[in-house]
Amino acid sequence: MTSSALPHALRTPPRSLAPALLVMGKGGVGKTTVAASLAVLDAETHGAAVLVEFGDGESGQRALAGSHKHVAHVVIKPAEALQRGAAPLFGSATVAKLALDNFAMRPLLLAAPAIRELAMLEAVRQVVAEHPGVRVVVDMPATGHGVAWLRVPKQGRDFLGAGPLFEMCDRVGRELLSPGRASIVVVTLPERLVIEETLELCDALAREVGLPADRVVVNRVPLPMAPNALADARALAAGGGALGEAARSLVGALEAREAAGAEATAALEALTLKEHAIWRVPLAPVDPSARDVARWLRGEGAA
Amino acid sequence: MSGASKHTRGASPNDPLVVVCAGGGGVGKTTTSAALALALARGGRSTLIVTIDPARRLAGAMGVPITDAVSRVPLASAKGRLSALMPDPRRSLRTFIEHLFEEEPEARARVLANRLYVGLADAAAGVHELVAMNLVAHAAARGEFEVIVIDTAPSRHAIDFVTYPERLATLLGGRTVAWLSNLAARGGAAPVERPAGGILSWGAGHLEGVIARVTGPTLVSDTASLFGDLAIVRERFVSLTERASRLLLGDRAAYALVAAPTAAARDDVLYLTKRLEALGRTPRAIVMNRADATPAPYLRALREGRGVPESVRDAASALEQESASRKAAADALCAELAKRLKKVPQIRLPYVESATPDGTVAALSEAIEGHVEALLPP
Repeated sequence: MTSSALPHALRTPPRSLAPALLVMGKGGVGKTTVAASLAVLDAETHGAAVLVEFGDGESGQRALAGSHKHVAHVVIKPAEALQRGAAPLFGSATVAKLALDNFAMRPLLLAAPAIRELAMLEAVRQVVAEHPGVRVVVDMPATGHGVAWLRVPKQGRDFLGAGPLFEMCDRVGRELLSPGRASIVVVTLPERLVIEETLELCDALAREVGLPADRVVVNRVPLPMAPNALADARALAAGGGALGEAARSLVGALEAREAAGAEATAALEALTLKEHAIWRVPLAPVDPSARDVARWLRGEGAA
Repeated sequence: MSGASKHTRGASPNDPLVVVCAGGGGVGKTTTSAALALALARGGRSTLIVTIDPARRLAGAMGVPITDAVSRVPLASAKGRLSALMPDPRRSLRTFIEHLFEEEPEARARVLANRLYVGLADAAAGVHELVAMNLVAHAAARGEFEVIVIDTAPSRHAIDFVTYPERLATLLGGRTVAWLSNLAARGGAAPVERPAGGILSWGAGHLEGVIARVTGPTLVSDTASLFGDLAIVRERFVSLTERASRLLLGDRAAYALVAAPTAAARDDVLYLTKRLEALGRTPRAIVMNRADATPAPYLRALREGRGVPESVRDAASALEQESASRKAAADALCAELAKRLKKVPQIRLPYVESATPDGTVAALSEAIEGHVEALLPP
């Protein structure tokens, strides 16, 4: 399967991408695989890349399986990020640990989750700073939560006004979340309502975070069937006997594909109308590996 | 955390049966839940389908609005009664605060004006679940449903909120609230100098001083105020949570783990099984979607038939190959899960292709029909 088999989509000339790629999208769209494949693609093209994941590191590891020779996999755990981010604020790692372990700090951290998220973004900023010249791909949390994260530094600046936390917000905003420092890659599916949500997400990113989506990866684009198959199957279905019966079943399956294909085309048009630069990944019967997706993305001009 | 077991008692025999569908994203959980509910309704049971994270596509297809109210789902066949509840996550926090502070209007006004209030929405990831489950408990109390199918949010942590009561007891305890107000009171204090003897020689209060300096006065005072107000309604908060936990962890609830033949789905199933075990529960069954048994015979008939145009033959053989690769992936995963989760039965459902979402639900509900008893609580 090659990407040339995909339906043609209009494309605007894409802006070049920043050192950090923040991969966003709603749950279940294949965000982690796309993030891993972008890291693989960069490692193949430039010899190295970093994939950043939040949480336990299991899903990135799985997505990279067998293809991660030159991809460094960095896992950022909330507790560690908090301690690391807090150390300079409190003057030492020991005092930071004492403060964070304090029984009553927990409600503070729970009520102001932004502190935890800020710490994780600060950790990303550090990873980018530690890898000059190397692409850092970040597998962000699913949609709503992801935007909330990216809003944190700006909100923090407005809310706090001054102090060490304020300075951290400011630094993350300037050095990570500004054009030229980070590019947003949004992953979506070629379905009407999913695309509507994606357009809302892109809008929120541009308006509230100041980072418009640089690329939209449309995952699982149905491949067109042979052009005559449906018409020929319909003709055969008009006949009787076992073959006619079988052809009628095939017509049902092909019609479903055609409907999905038409919806996908409309979805892609909706994106290009808004001048989003698109990369497409075809629908495969079994989930593809990061390396497969990287190959398709290369065909889309992603390298 | 295993402590939630103490909230599991108290299910009455008149309570509806509950099937909780859990699983990661992208496995077809919402469609499967809807298909199960449809099959149950067609089988003559009055059924309520609850979608915690409503897919607008499905809601639209079922002709159901996304609101806090129960709606009747129009069914093609005259037989069966199906209702749906698809609460809007964006309204949840406000609904929750309004419920919580129903009798405390002044505290409610303070909370809604608190700058941390919006942040809380993301922090307490379980708020929407809690609100949704209380709507479910309310609907269950009407006594008109025999079965409730709950489609949880597509996350491994979708059921974590059942452990909130214990966590809340600590969080909203008097000691924490007192500490926070104390901290807020000294928010403007001058920076504390580091004493010569190192941190071990610091007296009580030094650490608090440092925390107040680092976090800044606004954050601490807003948190203190928020927790002070939440402490007022602590009992109510805990009882809301317990009601939700009873529904989800009671004797009349069964867990269906929905999966698809992917490594991510496998890990989610293993994780959720462990999580359920910690809560004293075992999954009732694993529902494996996209797990074709054999390619449909009509495909072979077309591939081998005489006088079949080449385009049709090619299409049939492409579909056959796709089906075979899905089967291979599903076989491998089912075998692995059978080995690792010996006690959990598996239900395989084929890949369903339909031009519309309601068509998909209808086709899948026919496939799931024979497995309904295996998914209901014993």
